[in-house]
Amino acid sequence: MQAARELNRAAAVLALSVLMDSAIEHYRGSFKNKAMFTPLAVSALALGVSAHGMRDQRAVTHGLRNGAYILTGLTGAAGLAFHTYNVMKRTGGINWQNLFYGAPIGAPAAIAMSGALGSAGERIRHYAPFTPAHIWGLPSGRGLAALTSLGIIGTSAESFLLHFRGAFHNPCMYLPVTLPPIASALMARLAWLPEGSRHPWTRLWLGLTAFLGFGGVAFHAYGVNRALGGWRNWRQNMLDGPPLPAPPAFTGLSLAGLAALRIIEAKRLV
Amino acid sequence: MAKRNSLSWNDKTREIIDKRLNVPREPRFLTPVEFAVLEAIADRIIPQPDDRPRVPLAALVDDRLVADVGDGYRSAGSPRLREAWRQGLAALETEMQARYDRSFTQLDPSTQDLVLKQMQKGELDHAAWGTMTAKEFFKSRLAHDIATLYYAHPAAWSEMGFGGPAAPRGYVRMGYNERDSWEAAEASEGKEDQARKDNARVGR
Amino acid sequence: MPVSAADPQKTPRAVEGRAPDVFRIGGWVPMRQYAESEEVDFAIVGTGAGGGTLACKLAEGGFSVVGFDAGAYWRPLEDFASDETEQSKLYWTDDRIVDGENPLQLGGNNCGKAVGGSTVHFAMVSLRFRPEWFKSRSVMGYGLDWPLDWREMWKYYAEAEEALKIAGPVTYPWGPKRPRYPYRAHEMNAAAHALAKGCEAMGIGWTETPLATVSAPRGLSSPCMYRGFCVVGCSTNAKQSALTTWIPRALKAGAEIRDLSMVGRVEVDASGKATGVHYLREGAWRFQRAKNVVVAGYAIETPRLLLNSANPQFPNGLANSSGLVGKYLMTQSNQAVWGLSKDEVRSYKGPPSLALTEHWNYDDKKDFFGGYAYMSQGPLPAMWAKTQMSSRQLWGAELVRSMQDYNHVVGLKMVGEMLPQERNQVVLTGEKDQYGLPVPKVTYSWCDNDKAMIRHALGFMRQAMEAIDAHDIFDQDDDTNHLYGTARMGDDPRSSVVNADCRSWDIPNLWICDGSVFPTTGGVNPSLTIQAIACRTGDRIKAMARRGEL
Repeated sequence: MQAARELNRAAAVLALSVLMDSAIEHYRGSFKNKAMFTPLAVSALALGVSAHGMRDQRAVTHGLRNGAYILTGLTGAAGLAFHTYNVMKRTGGINWQNLFYGAPIGAPAAIAMSGALGSAGERIRHYAPFTPAHIWGLPSGRGLAALTSLGIIGTSAESFLLHFRGAFHNPCMYLPVTLPPIASALMARLAWLPEGSRHPWTRLWLGLTAFLGFGGVAFHAYGVNRALGGWRNWRQNMLDGPPLPAPPAFTGLSLAGLAALRIIEAKRLV
Repeated sequence: MAKRNSLSWNDKTREIIDKRLNVPREPRFLTPVEFAVLEAIADRIIPQPDDRPRVPLAALVDDRLVADVGDGYRSAGSPRLREAWRQGLAALETEMQARYDRSFTQLDPSTQDLVLKQMQKGELDHAAWGTMTAKEFFKSRLAHDIATLYYAHPAAWSEMGFGGPAAPRGYVRMGYNERDSWEAAEASEGKEDQARKDNARVGR
Repeated sequence: MPVSAADPQKTPRAVEGRAPDVFRIGGWVPMRQYAESEEVDFAIVGTGAGGGTLACKLAEGGFSVVGFDAGAYWRPLEDFASDETEQSKLYWTDDRIVDGENPLQLGGNNCGKAVGGSTVHFAMVSLRFRPEWFKSRSVMGYGLDWPLDWREMWKYYAEAEEALKIAGPVTYPWGPKRPRYPYRAHEMNAAAHALAKGCEAMGIGWTETPLATVSAPRGLSSPCMYRGFCVVGCSTNAKQSALTTWIPRALKAGAEIRDLSMVGRVEVDASGKATGVHYLREGAWRFQRAKNVVVAGYAIETPRLLLNSANPQFPNGLANSSGLVGKYLMTQSNQAVWGLSKDEVRSYKGPPSLALTEHWNYDDKKDFFGGYAYMSQGPLPAMWAKTQMSSRQLWGAELVRSMQDYNHVVGLKMVGEMLPQERNQVVLTGEKDQYGLPVPKVTYSWCDNDKAMIRHALGFMRQAMEAIDAHDIFDQDDDTNHLYGTARMGDDPRSSVVNADCRSWDIPNLWICDGSVFPTTGGVNPSLTIQAIACRTGDRIKAMARRGEL
């Protein structure tokens, strides 16, 4: 139950990050295509139902909530296809220029992940002692661990791409491409191991990764300030500078990891 | 000019554009007679619409002559900036007197255009031109100076849709058909109203 | 808000033990100063790509260095406006006479007068030579060989690229392997996409232009804001010019920069060695003693100074026993094809050349010698009006009408190799300029090979424009590019002015370090090569000093 609500929270943080990020980025893209409003609507929806879920103490799947999460997941998948198409159709197809400056592949994937986490939460929430929830054919804790492992490594890859674009000009830019992959590996290990044992190191590392998400916002705010005109020129620098809302994606995913850890460690008591 | 007080203009830009807009309207280097000829020529080189204040082109050329900053080169046979203008305007007037018995300023616009076209082709060849050909004067001084000074004026920038000064705030959207909200929109057929509405916001 | 009331073009700023801090409005940095009576190790005339770079290398090598520049010491953040006319203050606009069959256009295109030289207003294009060009006579059958080896130059290119944090493509499609550019390429604007589309349609390669403007923060330089006024001076300091890179480093290492200091004569004593330079500052001619003199005034001012320094011992000018000082002047072809796109392009946004193709530098199936690159373009209004007038003879209502298509303009412009010809030259005339120095006359005529290349390039670029459905296409056939060659380097004192180390054959403590030492031009912009040569010269001087060979 606790884990389910944590998942709602994880989905909420992730949805918030995506909502803000896509609002800024699609504003930059001048909402040239009406479909560019979709991620805003969907991530706002995911945020809303997650808030609802966080307060909901009942141990049953909420149909509407689950539906919203599934919709979010599918929208993310569609966005992924759309962004990939957008990159491919640019002059030169898949090259660094288009990966750097075309539609980001990682952003819609984060929407999909938000939906997946929320939906997983709904499944876990449904208390069924004799048929414990499964995700991807794995027991729920391990399945969730696999999911977060994937999410963290994906987000890390996105930050690698963008920090590479920034030529890692500040050594701290290496943090999101070194710390989270370890968290991802630790989660992948959990997906592999039988449930029921304690993992204090994993817990610590997830905490660190979660914290990194907040720290990243501060770093990015500093980055915006370093551009000419600093915050006074926010209309340009919010768009051209490092994205403020992106780093908390790590926080959301780490929270999901912690939820997975709770389920896995709880098995020991049963 | 709507953007003058926005982040697109730094202090230095405001300072020098203000100076340009307030250029003295009276000649300071050229004589009043030369100035009048120059005004008549400028009207033909850059015909300006009547629905806005005119860019004082002759005054801007005179201002450049006061500053006396050349282009960094001149063709053999042509004198330096100031002398080139003096000599060219004098030669034109001499040739007009010889040919039409009147000043360039007294010709009707279509004759003025014809004369300028001949100057461009090098078909003015009075001895008064000296070692500087009429063609060279037209190309390197007359049309060159008038037009480049016109397109250094905010009124001309607005007319052609140029974004104007851009610092400290530069640009974000650089692709095909992309426009930052601080750039003027282009009025396409049937969408003039939308462009007008968008452009009312550009100054922010 | 003028921070300092004094006009930096009238009153020198680098005085009283301090120089302007280029990164801070009204700021200063400490500067070491040398007495005129003190014999400094190096007096360097010119502080651009050659002189600025060498000043840094030598100062960091422990030498005492004074760099002289005729221009002002600007603080871009407070002094630079977003305006073509105002910014002509960065150009060398002193009197010069041009003639020949194809007279050059000087000034803004290729001549800077400021601390930092032309790099203050250059378009930042930072390319390497094709290796074969260093041996174009023996390998490719034209021009002449350089006394430099491309493998050694590759190392110095890397040093210059790192010093300028060049923002370039992840992998460069032409030539031998080069290290990854320190910073990533900038986002391409619509004009650059047009070039790329044209290249894809023609089946040739293209890439993002390696540029000396940062795509991410670097120290006190903030990232590029894409304001598009690059060629009239960068007011944001994203541009990595000599003014913002080499010169601050040089100052830190103990060099002195003297702004508004026009050097008019290099003094040589009876033993045939240079003893210092005569220069005009604050209305008075002064003399700085020096153990070595480096002339780095670019391809017109360098020969002018050497020729004007003639004395009874060297009646034809300094370093001129070969008779080649001022000879073999070269520019590059700079023709363009312009057209209109049905889409809005607004090429005034972003650096002017964000994409390029070097295809014709590396493809040798051509009926002429040499190669060319071509690049996307972003002309500012007055520049565009000038192009309309000179290429299409427009004026009057026609010009005004045509200027209204400005936001739809796309253009491709070449940088093409022109061949060295002895008749193209810089000589002194009897006329005097504002310093009382003889006005130079610059003579230039194209040869048949130059014309053949221009024909090829205009034809090819036109096809590329047609391939992207541009309309109202026209050729611009009369622009001038970079300058080279009036004090060329070589292995033989009879056919060159300096050796591979930029040291003059005739006067062992007189050096020349700028674009004038190029024996051939290659088909790329020169600034990176000039800086790489200066880096090498700095290293060579350090090595020679260690061995007592100076």
